[in-house]
Amino acid sequence: MMWVVVGVASLFLLKAGAAKSLVPSKIQSMAELLVEFIQGIIQDTMGPSGMRYFPLISSLFLFILFCNLLGLIPGTYTVTSQIIVTGVFAIGVYGLSLVMGFKLHGAKFLPGILIPPGTPGWLLPLMIPIEIISQIARPISLAVRLFANMTAGHVILGVLVGLTITGGLLIGWLPFSFTIVLYGLEVGIAFIQAYIFTVLTCVYMGDAIHLH
Amino acid sequence: MPQFDSQFFSSLIFWEVLSFSILFWILYKYAWPPILETLETRERKIRESLDQAEQSRATAEQKLKEYETKLQVAAKEAENLMAEAKQKAQQLLDENQQRLRADSERIKEEATQDIERERRKAIDDIKGQAADLAILVAEKVIGRSLSDDDHRRFAKEALAEVAAHSKN
Repeated sequence: MMWVVVGVASLFLLKAGAAKSLVPSKIQSMAELLVEFIQGIIQDTMGPSGMRYFPLISSLFLFILFCNLLGLIPGTYTVTSQIIVTGVFAIGVYGLSLVMGFKLHGAKFLPGILIPPGTPGWLLPLMIPIEIISQIARPISLAVRLFANMTAGHVILGVLVGLTITGGLLIGWLPFSFTIVLYGLEVGIAFIQAYIFTVLTCVYMGDAIHLH
Repeated sequence: MPQFDSQFFSSLIFWEVLSFSILFWILYKYAWPPILETLETRERKIRESLDQAEQSRATAEQKLKEYETKLQVAAKEAENLMAEAKQKAQQLLDENQQRLRADSERIKEEATQDIERERRKAIDDIKGQAADLAILVAEKVIGRSLSDDDHRRFAKEALAEVAAHSKN
């Protein structure tokens, strides 16, 4: 399934990139819209210096987006509904932000993220544990959010389809119509979750670049 | 739930990392450069076009200003010409008037002189006729007792008297 994602995503962007015309075709303008969308996210959260990480962040966004979207096709599998997959991404991203922070700021990085600016001295024993917890919560929430959203959507769809099958023609149309509505919702969620994951990635990396 | 079944974890991690790396590599190497380049080219082109448009606008504005100044100068010139022409016309008119007045004055003067001359002549005529008449009358009264010289002397005296009367 991941290969399919890789294939579809690369095909789409390679085709879009091959056009290279000044007046874009449909697929080209779609890809350019996507690029500008991701660039906008990076610009808003990390500033101009974040553009260096554009390839990584855009790949992440596309990978998650295509995983989510292709997983909605009946009979396929949603990779992002695996906690381990989202977890690897989340830990990877968070770890990268830590590495970046240490590389950019050296020893000043740890106090930089653990102590919010303007904290009075007597609050430090309280603030530092809170900040440590919030830092640890970042990758966990990142992983669980995506995984839970994807899983929940599929579970609900599965339950409704099960109801349709067991309900038969007489009552089965009701849950079936729900699945149609939910499907639209799921497509939206697929986009939104990919977007949220990307934005949070940018925010964490931006924190690593600019500290607090 | 299969999601928490740890027996697939290692293979999932492996495939995930591998496929993501491949996607990243493909995009980084082949997909992003042309797209970003196209975007940049378009941006540059748009900026250039805008710059050019701005430049053209500035040029047009300058030309417009130039024309306006020229127009103003021309208008001023026309005004000056008009004023000059008016002045000239006025001058001509004045001259004409003056000349006409002078002419009329002169004609009047001449006429007056003519009249005066004619009057003089008429008076002289009348004087002559009056002398003849006086002589005729005197001859009737005195007969042939007086010589021609006496006649003339009397006539002249009478004439002087008449002239003194007519002047009064």
